[in-house]
Amino acid sequence: MNDIIVNADATEVGGTGNVMIDVTNVDKYFGDFQALHGINMKVGEQEVVVVIGPSGSGKSTLIRCINRLERHDRGSIVVDGVELSDDIRNIQEIRRETGMVFQSFNLFPHLSVLENITLAPRNVRNVPKAEAEATAMELLERVKIPDQARKFPGQLSGGQQQRVAIARSLAMKPKVLLFDEPTSALDPEMIKEVLDTMKDLANEGMTMICVTHEMGFAREVADRVVFMADGEIVEVGTPEHFFTNPQEERTQLFLSQIL
Amino acid sequence: MSNSGLSAGDAQLMNAVAEAEAESARHGQDLTPGQWAKKNLFDGVLNSIFTLVFGSIALVTIWFGARWFIDSDWEIVRANLRLFMVGQFPRDDLFRLWVSGYIVVFMGGFVAGAMAHNAQDLADMQGVEYERATWGSLLRRFWTIIAIIIFFVSFARTALPYIGVAGGMVLAVGSRELGWRAPAAVRARSVYIGAALFIISMMVLAGTSRLGGFALGAVALAWVASETGKRDLPGGGAGMVQRWAPAILVAVVVFVVTVLLPYDGYGWEDWGGLHITLFTTVFGIGMGMPIGILLALGRRSDLPVLKTASVIFIEFIRGVPLISLLLFSNLMLPLFLPGDRPADLTLAVIVITGFSAAYIAEIVRGGLQAVPKGQTEAAQASGMSAGAVQRLIVLPQALRAVIPAMVGQFISLFKDTSLLSIIGILEFLRVSDVANAQPDFVGKGLAPVTYVFVALGYAAFAYTLSKESRRLETRLGVGVR
Ligand SMILES: Nc1ncnc2c1ncn2[C@@H]1O[C@H](COP(=O)(O)OP(=O)(O)OP(=O)(O)O)[C@@H](O)[C@H]1O
Ligand SMILES: [Mg+2]
Repeated sequence: MNDIIVNADATEVGGTGNVMIDVTNVDKYFGDFQALHGINMKVGEQEVVVVIGPSGSGKSTLIRCINRLERHDRGSIVVDGVELSDDIRNIQEIRRETGMVFQSFNLFPHLSVLENITLAPRNVRNVPKAEAEATAMELLERVKIPDQARKFPGQLSGGQQQRVAIARSLAMKPKVLLFDEPTSALDPEMIKEVLDTMKDLANEGMTMICVTHEMGFAREVADRVVFMADGEIVEVGTPEHFFTNPQEERTQLFLSQIL
Repeated sequence: MSNSGLSAGDAQLMNAVAEAEAESARHGQDLTPGQWAKKNLFDGVLNSIFTLVFGSIALVTIWFGARWFIDSDWEIVRANLRLFMVGQFPRDDLFRLWVSGYIVVFMGGFVAGAMAHNAQDLADMQGVEYERATWGSLLRRFWTIIAIIIFFVSFARTALPYIGVAGGMVLAVGSRELGWRAPAAVRARSVYIGAALFIISMMVLAGTSRLGGFALGAVALAWVASETGKRDLPGGGAGMVQRWAPAILVAVVVFVVTVLLPYDGYGWEDWGGLHITLFTTVFGIGMGMPIGILLALGRRSDLPVLKTASVIFIEFIRGVPLISLLLFSNLMLPLFLPGDRPADLTLAVIVITGFSAAYIAEIVRGGLQAVPKGQTEAAQASGMSAGAVQRLIVLPQALRAVIPAMVGQFISLFKDTSLLSIIGILEFLRVSDVANAQPDFVGKGLAPVTYVFVALGYAAFAYTLSKESRRLETRLGVGVR
């Protein structure tokens, strides 16, 4: 890996060198308000990118544009060679390849843990029921809660729910995982179990974009950190770079507040 | 996690329940009646005054009520009991009503037993407590209905109604037990079995018809499609064919067989009394529900035509009194319908169905809005189609949330059906007027007697329904998150 990348466009590619996500000149408006300003970012296969930045800086908006939970207004977004367009089939093709984990888990409360995980594979990929359930059990082993399979989400702790949510997004065998502050809604003692799960994934070579302020996590697993403010990418570099030698004033200010 | 992974909220709730139980145990067991009265009725000056004032009012009411009850001449009810219950249904065909009623009772008992066992299984699987119904608890839940039926029957002058009702109660108990003991595979399908039985019970009365065949065919279609949908189907067109072709085939066969069966019944011109009141309510809600759900989805749809049509229908129906809709059905609807003028009840049932559909649509819309946006987003993010997201994620949660409101709608429709009297349908309330106009009773001032009789009937059913709805509310709040 490169030692230090300081590149305000974030277009260097880490990981295996193959481009997995390619965001070019993306603008996004909510009415008159511009939430994203000319974002350029590439993410390589097997790369882990952590996005940080103050509240309202557009971090969520950026990753939600990648799987079209928000529609970007200008520029292009290409995921694994498929460019996002308004065509619903095209959107669904990209969504099948990208998993998303939300701050508030968003598990389906009326379905059991097992059903939460098997729903999309069965419904979208037509995976046979037995096979989907076997996969789901493997995933639950992986996130270390196989004994909770028959429970309903409301019966689990926050940390367990978030791990189920991770297992759910893995069930579609995605090529990319998007995390939007996955530990922000958790009690401190549960944060570690979720971060550990994410570290395992990173070590197994999953391509990930994580919005998170867990700098310990960033230091350990991130290939690159992207700092956003006011809808722009302000600074990009290795975790080391951010800890030792942040260049921009806004970055320094932000880091001084969270570290 | 220890403690089978219950969250803190659940633990709190269970503690609260345990405490409440302990509390009631303390009240019930440790206190003598004297102590209990002191603690609850004469605890302080204010409470004592309340107790005395309201106690006296209650005693006076009961005293005069009971005397009125005993002194009144109930002959008018005795002479007209059949009219109150089933209107002018021909005497020679009353057996059809009994058979039909028994099928409905069997269906209710069977489905209730099966559902209760399913709920128990689910609770066991998750390792949570399930409060299993006992005969005692069922009696407490349904005592008003049982009491009112016994009250009604007590006016009978022949033995047959007594025997018939006793048989019905035995059947209710037996069918619930049967439903409970049915194999899991049968229990899982009890809703389809119930729907089919209900339609069959209607055809026992009304005879086989295209309408009946259509309804039974629709149940068959849904049932078979749910069976084929459980298999692992390939995606795309092939999967659709494998899922729906057998369902359509079976539905067509069911339709054809039903229509060809030579069994005549009575058109519902002769229906009346409490029977018609219950029937229009159940039918109005049963048909109004699917239509209302579609209207609610239509109202939220992105397609402008669908959306506008739904909004106009819903707002028009809700903006107009039911009476005027019923008058409209009677005077104008026949002009729009092809063929001969349909029976008054047919027209009324169309209006009642549309009416409840509009109200149900708004209830469902509230439920749809209450489903958090994150639910849709999570489902979309995994690549599910918009239709699948609505069907599998949004609707189930929305419908569960609005069950209590739906029961409320059920209760008000039950009472609103009394407006059918305006267009000359002999429903429960109107029997009272008809009885008081009979030569034997006219001018005797017996209207209060018949009105009290009718009012007790409405109140008993409505009370049980609203009690069940509150039970559901706590159930859903606690059991299903
Ligand atoms: N649906 C929306 N409608 C209007 N404005 C929105 C919408 N979603 C986000 N915004 C605005 O866009 C800006 C960026 O929001 P975004 O949620 O992406 O920030 P964020 O960096 O994720 O912040 P946080 O750390 O608080 O989650 C904010 O100013 C926000 O108010
Ligand atoms: Mg955010």
